[in-house]
Amino acid sequence: MKNSISQIKKALIEKKISVGELYDEYLAKAKSGNNNSFNLVIDKENNISSINDSQNRYDNGNPLPLDGIPLGIKDLFCTKGIRTTASSKILSNFIPNYESFVTQQLLNDGSIFIGKNNCDEFAMGSSNETSYFGPVINPWKNKNSQKDNLVPGGSSGGSAAAVAEGSCVASMGTDTGGSIRQPASLCGIVGLKPTFGSCSRWGIVAFASSLDQAGPLTNCVEDAAYILNSINKHDFNDSTSSNHQREDYLIDINNSFEKKIKIGIPSDYLEDVSDEILNQIDNTKKALSKHGIEFVDVEFKTTEYALSTYYILAPAEASSNLARYDGVRYGVREDGESLDDIYLNSRTKGFGDEVTRRILIGAYVLSAGYYDAYYRQAQKVRRLIKNDFQRILNEVDFILTPTTPNEAFKIGDKLDPISMYKNDIYTVPTSLAGLPGISIPSGLSKNGLPLGVQFIGNYFEEKTLLQLAALAEKELSFNE
Amino acid sequence: MSDIDIKRISYLAKLKLPSEKEEFYSNSLKDIIKWVDNLKKVDTSKTEPLHNVTEKTVSIRNDEVSKSNSVDDVLSNAPERAQNFFKVPKVVE
Repeated sequence: MKNSISQIKKALIEKKISVGELYDEYLAKAKSGNNNSFNLVIDKENNISSINDSQNRYDNGNPLPLDGIPLGIKDLFCTKGIRTTASSKILSNFIPNYESFVTQQLLNDGSIFIGKNNCDEFAMGSSNETSYFGPVINPWKNKNSQKDNLVPGGSSGGSAAAVAEGSCVASMGTDTGGSIRQPASLCGIVGLKPTFGSCSRWGIVAFASSLDQAGPLTNCVEDAAYILNSINKHDFNDSTSSNHQREDYLIDINNSFEKKIKIGIPSDYLEDVSDEILNQIDNTKKALSKHGIEFVDVEFKTTEYALSTYYILAPAEASSNLARYDGVRYGVREDGESLDDIYLNSRTKGFGDEVTRRILIGAYVLSAGYYDAYYRQAQKVRRLIKNDFQRILNEVDFILTPTTPNEAFKIGDKLDPISMYKNDIYTVPTSLAGLPGISIPSGLSKNGLPLGVQFIGNYFEEKTLLQLAALAEKELSFNE
Repeated sequence: MSDIDIKRISYLAKLKLPSEKEEFYSNSLKDIIKWVDNLKKVDTSKTEPLHNVTEKTVSIRNDEVSKSNSVDDVLSNAPERAQNFFKVPKVVE
């Protein structure tokens, strides 16, 4: 039942299915909970007025752009009246009184939320193993080792698994260093991280404010355009929200390019990668060359510094953002004799190991005596990384890279943090530069697991990026 | 790289690490700081730090009063409240 949004809307318009029946179908899968992809599933009776309103709009012949579409929402978006935990113990009882900007747009366009997707705690992780509610299991199995449970990637691992298992049509995720694109790749679906500043961060539990960006995880590129049309709007409540004129991302998505397109392949990204990953790039290149697209080699000068820069800046911003969890105003309080004891006990018992580690890294690199050497230096190197991308995007229209250095690995396989952090080697540089990136499925590994490629475009050029991804998707599509 | 004083860092972060975990975090921190140390060799003497990647100016809205959360909304998630206040142990004698 992997239907696209436009196929589902057609079935609803032609009355082949009702909004309620559609919800039932996805709800049954979401409730089976085999892969732990949801922290919370919303029963039909709690959505009944939205379902009825939506059905009425179909009956009256004026459905909204996402009318009746069951969506998963990463449990990092504040949803009014619906528990929002960031997959953390410290927020495990938190019920927001307001709706995040992005999820409000999705509601305004008629979509119906089926539940809150599991994720890494505070979106810190690349395997969805840091969640307080337990790891998410990738719906895909290694055909040579069927009984192994594999990670879905992270941090939007529940979102990716839910879309792949068919328990929601699409899911809203967030991406700080690869948290949409990497799990999309490991679960064989599409993941789009828009340009930083495109989609408002207001109401998203903050991790690293200069990097966090909301985006969709979907079954196909066209669905990503549907969602982006809904969420990509200026918002005064986010001071980094850009107020440029947005385009319609759907309207020309299947058109061919009017001008000659040139794509750069960074040779430095492909050193030491496996043949299997290299094949994904070669196949993509062959498929798109047939359409007259030109490929050239490009070389970054800053790639070796990207992960270091990220693992200074993101924890620094996180340690500052997570200072708000003090057991006083919301979240779980652990008692103590003094106010200070409440702070210490609530935070120490409320955060898991990875979040604690990142808060400590952040506190260290921001502390007196180390601020200039680490934090400020990382901010300067970040500018060099951005300049490096701009230099290359002056020569080419897009950049093609692998999304991940490997296929989905076994739960519990990567124990040390640095080997985990290296999973984001191809996605982190784009995040630091603030550029849009999309991961699409490109093929299967020898073990029968999905692999993906990433296209990177210029600032706010999601329209042509989606056009390119849609073209590549047609050429590369594979059956499970 | 100098040695990491894990007690001081955890104090700055308002965390009280259990003593049996101090070494775990201390070693982990050391490994990561060593790993990111390669940034020191980058010449940034002529580079300004980058704070906001799109470097767009902040948009200004009209200064109009708008309705936001009520006091009850704000206090609804408080672990403990008394009237219109968050309740915590006595701070001043």
